[in-house]
Amino acid sequence: MYELRYRRPADLAEAASLFEAAEDPAYISGGHTLLPTLKGRLAAPDALIDLRRLPELKGIRREGDRLVVGAGEVHRDVAASPDVREALPALAGLAGSIGDVHVRNHGTIGGSVANNDPAADYPAAVLGLGAVVRTNRREIAADDYFQGLFTTALEEGEIVVALSFPTGAECGYAKFRNPASRYAMAAVFVARFADAVRVAVTGAGNDGVFRWTAAEKALATSFSPEALADLSVAEADMIDDLHGSAEYRRHLVSVIAERAVANMGRAVVTP
Amino acid sequence: MTEKLFRHIGKPVERKEDARLVTGKGRFSDDFRLAGQAHAAIVRSPHPHARIRGIETAEALSSPGVLLVLTGRDCLDDGLEPIPHNPVPSTKYDMKLTAPGGGVPFIGPHHLLPDDKVRHVGEAVAIVVAETQAQALDGAERVLVDYEILPHVIHSEDAIAAGAPAVWDEVPENAFVDTRFGDWKGTERAFEQATHVVSAKFHVNRVTAVPLEPRSALASFDVETGRYVLYAGSGGAVRQKRELSSVLGIDPSRLRVLSYDVGGNFGARNRVYVEFGLVLWASQKLGRPVKYTATRSEAFLTDYQGRDLVTTVELALDEDGRFLALRADNISNVGARCVSLSPLSKGSGLITGSYDIPVAALRARAVFTNTMCTQAYRSSGRPEVTYAIERLIEIAARRLGFDPLELRLRNLVPPEAMPYRNAVGSIYDSGEYEKNMDRALVIADWAGFEARRQAAAERGKLLGRGFANYVESSIGTPKERAEITVKPDGTIEVVIGTQPSGQGHETSFAQVVAEMLDAPVENVTIVLGDTDVVSVGGGSHSGRSMRHAGTVMAMASADLVAEARRRAAELFDAPEEDVSFEGGRLVLPGTNHAVDLFELARLTERDHGPLFAARTNEMHTPVFPNGAAACEVEIDPKTGLVEITRYASVDDVGRCINPLIVHGQTHGGIAQGVGQAMWEECHVEPSSGQPVSGSFMDYGMPRSDNMPSFICEIAEVISPTNPLGIKAGGEGGTTPALAVVTNAVIDALRDTGVEDLPMPLTPLTVWKAIRHGAGHTDEDTRTTS
Ligand SMILES: Cc1cc2nc3c(=O)[nH]c(=O)nc-3n(C[C@H](O)[C@H](O)[C@H](O)COP(=O)(O)OP(=O)(O)OC[C@H]3O[C@@H](n4cnc5c(N)ncnc54)[C@H](O)[C@@H]3O)c2cc1C
Repeated sequence: MYELRYRRPADLAEAASLFEAAEDPAYISGGHTLLPTLKGRLAAPDALIDLRRLPELKGIRREGDRLVVGAGEVHRDVAASPDVREALPALAGLAGSIGDVHVRNHGTIGGSVANNDPAADYPAAVLGLGAVVRTNRREIAADDYFQGLFTTALEEGEIVVALSFPTGAECGYAKFRNPASRYAMAAVFVARFADAVRVAVTGAGNDGVFRWTAAEKALATSFSPEALADLSVAEADMIDDLHGSAEYRRHLVSVIAERAVANMGRAVVTP
Repeated sequence: MTEKLFRHIGKPVERKEDARLVTGKGRFSDDFRLAGQAHAAIVRSPHPHARIRGIETAEALSSPGVLLVLTGRDCLDDGLEPIPHNPVPSTKYDMKLTAPGGGVPFIGPHHLLPDDKVRHVGEAVAIVVAETQAQALDGAERVLVDYEILPHVIHSEDAIAAGAPAVWDEVPENAFVDTRFGDWKGTERAFEQATHVVSAKFHVNRVTAVPLEPRSALASFDVETGRYVLYAGSGGAVRQKRELSSVLGIDPSRLRVLSYDVGGNFGARNRVYVEFGLVLWASQKLGRPVKYTATRSEAFLTDYQGRDLVTTVELALDEDGRFLALRADNISNVGARCVSLSPLSKGSGLITGSYDIPVAALRARAVFTNTMCTQAYRSSGRPEVTYAIERLIEIAARRLGFDPLELRLRNLVPPEAMPYRNAVGSIYDSGEYEKNMDRALVIADWAGFEARRQAAAERGKLLGRGFANYVESSIGTPKERAEITVKPDGTIEVVIGTQPSGQGHETSFAQVVAEMLDAPVENVTIVLGDTDVVSVGGGSHSGRSMRHAGTVMAMASADLVAEARRRAAELFDAPEEDVSFEGGRLVLPGTNHAVDLFELARLTERDHGPLFAARTNEMHTPVFPNGAAACEVEIDPKTGLVEITRYASVDDVGRCINPLIVHGQTHGGIAQGVGQAMWEECHVEPSSGQPVSGSFMDYGMPRSDNMPSFICEIAEVISPTNPLGIKAGGEGGTTPALAVVTNAVIDALRDTGVEDLPMPLTPLTVWKAIRHGAGHTDEDTRTTS
């Protein structure tokens, strides 16, 4: 780790102004992505601005037909929240399937969504449900928010404050984990609304989380695993690495999507 | 007074060390801190192979807090010697490996820092010492090395191909060991006459030990006494002291090495690391203590690695499936320089496995490549050759239509043949192989497989079962010393030169001494790991510790009892032969004269000094732990995911001192072998020479939630080679695991026609095989009739 200053602002406004004042600052939430990067000397911010305790980033609540999760909520609390379990049980299951106990006790939903790792779980739920990303400056629709590997619509210094999920959908999440890292090798979030189906895929795409529109159309016509039988994503769009060739990931996406559809109302994880 | 409560050997005594370790009272290397200590960071090569044209250190030296920068040139200027690795196993029972054409192999000198070339990614090229760890790392980034990049070679077979880049100019062909063992002519004849010949080629993949505690060393040099102290966890402090003092060119008495608690070894810590020498050297130059602790990334890159054997095996059979001969060609990838030939040598003596094969021939080669060095890794060399023969038998059975278990039973070495001399000259001391096999099949419920397979099929899953026998050799450094002191305060102190890293020596060794001296186990304290106290000792490897330590402790205990009798005789004023030792007490039968050991120690201390005995013992004869293992796997054909649903083993460890500890060793050993078969691999990208699996993101580990509950039994066939009848219990879990798991996976895939798959059997590998039906071995079967 390079030398840096650690700052703990009292509120959102102070966080933003500390960011303005520093030369090369970074926000930190749970640190479970950022700290390994810093320890490996792969990033060299001169100031770390801690968002974990900001009151504006806390809380899980129902707002009409929305479920609003503060960006500073850790995975464990999202998984255990009665509101999340009731409104979106697949989201609670997803949160409970992230990493291990340490990661779930520290990592935050805001950090995960801000980071947009191509193998992370939350982006699939945010995109699959068409959630709204609330920041300290504006609201961003999920479809506009994710912009490729580790890239989002967030501007310099912009802070994710909360995620606002619609609750009118029945959802299913299925994940096949990478045997080494246990991040998603292919994971699919399916949200079935009254008038439409949305399908988001994470872990597999070489451009990060993406919507599988062909599957959405097929499922809107006939909501069943069989409806996906003849569909597959494009191999050229898949990640190809030590753990999974593009061919394998393309195949996994179909298999795992079928599992999500067959397991609505929960999250299923293999292995 | 000590009462005789129980006899201790064979009892599942709970580990004395656990309370200390689980409450954070362990003393691991990085826990030590000395006043004024400075911190070291290492500059490492980013290239697999490059000439060092120059190293610019000025900028680093002017970096804040930097105290010292040293390079390979300084190393030569200061006259430091290379690490005297002594890689050729040398007891009279080890297979003698030689250079091509005979003679002592060139091993590639292991200087603390190279001056000529870097030969693998991660090789240390400079050390930077600074006031803080962060400043040392900042300084290391400012060391500028001018490299001339050279072509590299990663795989052993590529390294021996014509035109391959030479890792060492001294060995242009890269193969620095090439030895033939066995009866080549006889083998050739047997193959000519055989009804069937089956051959296959396997690569036993490269893995790394991943100890929980990264390696670490803290050195201090005392200007006044000229003495060095090194806190560094290892597999044995005595070797570290000997070899490091040779590197520094000092008398061994000027170096004290302390190795207390060690967080995992598995072989990776047995040999000296350059960083240990570097901190010693730096502390002398600076006159301040210097500490180095590896990061996990450095551990993945530069811990000594394991396995990496390419083996081609051919088996000759008659029409009834009797094995007639075996021929093997083994190529060991030792990496950039040779640290140990133990894996190749150990494996060479066991190519015929648990089977009575009349003749065999083996060509054993070791080659340099531009990769990290390999070393003995848990069960050095034996899982490799067990894999070769147990996979080959499976392939033979399938190709020729034999039942694989029948084929094994027909060829096992029978108990009547013990001691049995195998075709390459190893003498198996004892064992009941068929009994192990029968028992393993029973506890694995082999017979119930078909019903389980059908149930799995109904769930869309493929169930497969695998089996393997194994025999391994346990030799190890022959010398061990025990010093036993009975103290007036009621304790017994035992000084010994082995080094546990989780094996529970503090408990099981105490059991042995408690047994011999008829004292409570809790009164016996084991002292290890300080070379000022422990003068001789071979460390812990090759399953040697209990056998060597147990034997020498038993001898020293007998000496101690003899001494006690002498002293008691004097006390009782009676002839020595009348004094007897019963229940921990010296008694003169027919009188009321009786004194326990501790009281005797107190009473006689003034006249005779401490009640003490010491014994050094050398034992060369190897033992051959053996056993059988079976497992079941369930495969999801849609994803290629393999789950192990059942795992059973029977392990003949000879006399078992503590079954609780032995079972723990077996469980860990199984997980380690299964890990290699299923997930672990040090993958180096051949075209770039870059290690890819450099973190837990890419290096897959076995975890508790993907292991079944193990069903393990201990078989105790007492070894005739040592007084306690001990074989070894630390490695048997690992030895057959690679073969067992692979056999089960291939069995599950039987309908796909897949005959062989390379480890690790990741979902990707298995799915590809299901999808494309790939995975035939290169080799072929010949049947004449
Ligand atoms: C061993 C391990 C296993 C893991 N396994 C999984 C897994 O299976 N699935 C998975 O999805 N994730 C996994 N993770 C990642 C984990 O969930 C991370 O914690 C999470 O992705 C990032 O959240 P964080 O709060 O830790 O963010 P940090 O690490 O603190 O920050 C990450 C990035 O986001 C920025 N940031 C943080 N908060 C905000 C905010 N509110 N607004 C704007 N920018 C912000 C930071 O500046 C930084 O760039 C794993 C991590 C580890 C260490």
